[in-house]
Amino acid sequence: MSVPVGHYQYDQIDRDFLDARIAEFSEQVARRIDGTLTEDEFKPLRLMNGLYLQLHAYMLRIAIPYGTIDSKQMRMFAYIARRYDRDYGHFTTRQNIQFNWIKLEETPDILRDLARVDMHAIQTSGNCIRNVTSDEFAGAAADELVDPRIHAEILRQWSTLHPEFTFLPRKFKIAISGSPNDRVAARFHDIGILARPGDDGRTVFRIFVGGGLGRTPIIGQEIFDAVPEERLLATLEAIVRVYNAHGRRDNIYKARIKILVQALGIDAYREAVEAELAQMDLEHYRLTPDMVDAIQARFAVPTLSAPGNPAQELANKRRENPEFDLWVRSNTHPHRDAGHIIAVVSLKPAGGIPGDATSAQMDRLADLADEYSFGELRITHLQNIVLGHVRQDRLYDLWTSLKEVDLASANIGLIGDIVACPGLDYCALANARSIPIAQKLGARFGDASLQAEIGALRINISGCINACGHHHAGHIGLLGVDKRGEEFFQITLGGRAENGASIGTILGPALPEDDTVDAIARLVDRYLGMREKGETFLDTLDRLGDAPFKEAAYETV
Amino acid sequence: MKRAVRVGTDEKLVLTANRLLDGVIVWRDRLGQWRPHIGVAEKLDAEQVAPVLELAQARAQADGVVGVYEVAVKDVEPPEPVTVRERIRAYGPTVHPEFAVETVQ
Repeated sequence: MSVPVGHYQYDQIDRDFLDARIAEFSEQVARRIDGTLTEDEFKPLRLMNGLYLQLHAYMLRIAIPYGTIDSKQMRMFAYIARRYDRDYGHFTTRQNIQFNWIKLEETPDILRDLARVDMHAIQTSGNCIRNVTSDEFAGAAADELVDPRIHAEILRQWSTLHPEFTFLPRKFKIAISGSPNDRVAARFHDIGILARPGDDGRTVFRIFVGGGLGRTPIIGQEIFDAVPEERLLATLEAIVRVYNAHGRRDNIYKARIKILVQALGIDAYREAVEAELAQMDLEHYRLTPDMVDAIQARFAVPTLSAPGNPAQELANKRRENPEFDLWVRSNTHPHRDAGHIIAVVSLKPAGGIPGDATSAQMDRLADLADEYSFGELRITHLQNIVLGHVRQDRLYDLWTSLKEVDLASANIGLIGDIVACPGLDYCALANARSIPIAQKLGARFGDASLQAEIGALRINISGCINACGHHHAGHIGLLGVDKRGEEFFQITLGGRAENGASIGTILGPALPEDDTVDAIARLVDRYLGMREKGETFLDTLDRLGDAPFKEAAYETV
Repeated sequence: MKRAVRVGTDEKLVLTANRLLDGVIVWRDRLGQWRPHIGVAEKLDAEQVAPVLELAQARAQADGVVGVYEVAVKDVEPPEPVTVRERIRAYGPTVHPEFAVETVQ
């Protein structure tokens, strides 16, 4: 059996575990249908298997560990979309996929189909450690110091069905990156980890704790600067134990680790973790080089060969075709190998639904992954798809193929690359719809040249204060609120999730949807009129403050 | 404890739920049947709703539904939910016109 590029190869133990788990859940579903289990009894069981009951139907959220899948797995998503859903799926800000029109009685069959490609939906809900997210350019980026997926897989195995951490005070999210450029929003996670090489050649980890978005956005604080690899699991175990012991369980809104870290202070939290470590059997938790190497051996490494002068061929194609050149500028990232390049496929067509892909698009992406990127795909937390290892002299052919299935929008990192939660169109928790305003903004700024002219500008939209659309971290953030039955949007400016993370500040009173779209347009016009040469939106905002933008946004209200 | 739904002038209440097997949104008609079109929902006055709701919740498993609750609607034909959330439940997601739900069969 060939080992997949980019993710861990299951063995028989993994498969036996999944089979047993599906058999257990199938029985629970049968008992719910025959009434042996009430809904109150069944709800926590279905949530532990990723099954929600949303506005219109059941929703199944499938885990994509560290956002990486292979082409067989992507084809399975396409099959599920066609066979069990309404022919599309939605890629989420946690690098997962969810299907919105699932039938309870068919869920065991879906889980069996997923297991055939080594996938499941376990721990995509509930008060446990959720899917571990990672850098979408892992193992490929030129600026990477350490490939974080090996340790992400170790964390996946450590946290899956962890007996102490199945009923935490609240959900718990971990992200890990191995680049000096934070692409995982490490400081907005319960635990954020930045890996780098240590002096002895083994990896060391800088760890942040207590970050998060939601109704109380907080930037995570550094708890340890250089945890050695052999102490990684012990340290994480101690951090989560302290939270499990002292986190609040009396108030759901104050139950996340960020509230505990704020209450204790980072120094006291660190002391509590060190006290926990002092009484732990550290040998039991020691992550040895052999263990790490054994996990690493379950990942195939792509053979990167690009004969000739692929960079020159790419340069020629860019000169010949300005539209292609525009796409390359926004939708690629330098690869560690000189003959290769990272391609980002936008799931944000002008006027489209951010993060949605049809079964036909998923099938085509799987084919293109086989043809151009060793059968590997990555889902980004910004709701796009990455083909990580594309030969530079084949990039033009890839782009041409993407155009045929409406997946060649040139907008990554630009104003059209909007992040949005499902909002009130699907979500039982939402107060306002996120998707329609994202579609209006996407259409308004759909022109690729205009987007290139505006430059780096990220809009994030959430339909409620739970902030699944990460609005606090958007350069421009929109939060949907309900005002006496009408949808309004509160604008925030200046959020950022990368290095120098910050929380956006509220610009002023919330506006009705159409007024919000016009206000954003005026705000962007004001930026274009006031920016100095070479400035991005954030540069101009940092230089001038939000006063001129506030004036522009509210000038006709 | 769930707060009582506020009912304004010219408004009534209807009962809604999700179908247990497939999650489809359903509305209770005057015969006590659960049907996927709001146009057939029985409209109740605020003072009538408590015993009907209690009975419907008690029968939920037998009727194959889950999460029974009351929704305020404008007293028109077909009844129109007052809140955006319930209008989206009644008519389907606004971003997929092809999934629109008819108000009557």
